Amino acid sequence: MILAQNLTKRFGDRTAVDHVSFDIPQGQVVGFLGPNGAGKTTTMRLLTAYLPADEGHAELAGLSVTEQPLAVRRRLGYLPEDNPLWEDLELTEALHFAGRLRGLTDDAARATRVKAVVKSCGLRREIGAKVGELSKGFRQRLGLAAAIIHDPEILILDEPTSGLDPNQVLEVRDLIRELRARKTVLISTHILPEVTATCDRVIIINAGKIVADGTPADLAGDMADKNRLHVELKGPRDDVRQALAGLSGASQVAAGESGASFVVESAAGADLREEVFRMAVRRDWPILSLRQERLSLEEIFRALTRDP
Amino acid sequence: MMECQMSRPDPRGVFQGHAVRALAARTLRSYFESPAAYVALFVFYLLTGYLFAAPLFLIKAASLRGLIDFVPLLLAFLVPALTMGLLAEELKSGTFETLATLPLEDWDIVLGKYLGFAALHLVCVAGLLFYVLVLWLCASPAGLDRGEMLGTLLGLALTGLAFGAVGLFTSSLGKNQVVAFVAAFLVCFVLFILGKTAGLLPGGLGTVAAYLGLDAHVENLAKGVLDSRDLVYFASLVFAFLYLTVQRLQTRRF
Repeated sequence: MILAQNLTKRFGDRTAVDHVSFDIPQGQVVGFLGPNGAGKTTTMRLLTAYLPADEGHAELAGLSVTEQPLAVRRRLGYLPEDNPLWEDLELTEALHFAGRLRGLTDDAARATRVKAVVKSCGLRREIGAKVGELSKGFRQRLGLAAAIIHDPEILILDEPTSGLDPNQVLEVRDLIRELRARKTVLISTHILPEVTATCDRVIIINAGKIVADGTPADLAGDMADKNRLHVELKGPRDDVRQALAGLSGASQVAAGESGASFVVESAAGADLREEVFRMAVRRDWPILSLRQERLSLEEIFRALTRDP
Repeated sequence: MMECQMSRPDPRGVFQGHAVRALAARTLRSYFESPAAYVALFVFYLLTGYLFAAPLFLIKAASLRGLIDFVPLLLAFLVPALTMGLLAEELKSGTFETLATLPLEDWDIVLGKYLGFAALHLVCVAGLLFYVLVLWLCASPAGLDRGEMLGTLLGLALTGLAFGAVGLFTSSLGKNQVVAFVAAFLVCFVLFILGKTAGLLPGGLGTVAAYLGLDAHVENLAKGVLDSRDLVYFASLVFAFLYLTVQRLQTRRF
């Protein structure tokens, strides 16, 4: 549905987007992560044909972005960075205006759509307010409502939750989750829990290049250089430590936070949990807790996008 | 309804009337939602009223001749004030990106904005018909030259339309409205002054200046002479600057 092939964009000497490729199938919600200035917004502008690419090729819904920009944009809802809105319009006027520009010329049909997006974006309370008077949370919802007024197949949202408080972030997240069933969505953000909560897949970009692409769980697996298992066993401390060290594959055993807990390290990809279980049963030591450590998206993000 | 839109072929090169209309209506409305239009209309009618009334009472001349010498200069001020924000404001607030990623051509955006301004300007000039009516009622109809009066109004209307295209172009140059205003005023002023200086320039240069300047064309119309060459002059000015505006918007994307 959203296809990028070697997309490249240079501004003078600086390469903002450097041979970026990905393919997002229909119905997937993809989080597009990267530090500020990594090339997220530029990539989105290339996909929406706002900027022409220097190299490479982009397709939305099977249509070339450069050859059929109008047909592409008809299928696309785009929320630009910083959510620019016409401040002097009243909320429903703004939506009607967006609808008219989109070609919803039939008054009744447009009114139905406006009503629908007002409802789905929770804007009813603010009907009658000027756009310029809306709070940041409602502005963001209005931006989203305007982007989906024509019920597009594809949504590209540039930082839809920036500047929102945690409650508002949750609301926008729910909104995006509601859309996911029917739409293909690419969201850029640097709020990471956001991505874990809403996205099927994560693409991380740094300095214009894609550095990771996969489900959050896959990325955690790929990234870990060793496997860490947190074990809490009720048994004589030294015996437990020895028994754990004796497991095949265990490379190091360190004492954990509390008296009965240990951290067992092994090679990446190994899973010692079953071994630990069998050993504990043999020795009749109750297992109090057993947890495989996973790298959080934060850690992955930091590791991949740290300045060299 | 949605479906038939999706399957519509890409109408490249054809104006998307719905969007042009929506943009024009919005542009016109936003004039009246800010003090801009009211201030401009006030100044316009105050000065034209004076220029109309002064000769009427002082030298008992029942004509609109007094308008044609000065009003183009007034328009060189007022029109850039009305056009300076048309695109600069969208560029500054970022809404241009929203417009530019809608299924519209740059021509649709430019034309919509321009027609919104043009509607305001034409309403403004149409208001001058009131003076024609006053003369009609007060002076003996035999002494009135109808062609001259309507030609004068047409000349002012076309002058403003040409200045509007200039102003829209300078508004596309950047985010700064002051720059847009000053640049538009300069171009309009040059157009205004060029015809007046034509007599001072040597030979061929004078002829070129006379053709490029407003004066000769407006004079013709004010005399009640409707010459297609003058209409072509104004139409080319409008087209040239709208074309430049579209080119400018396209280079912004690179």
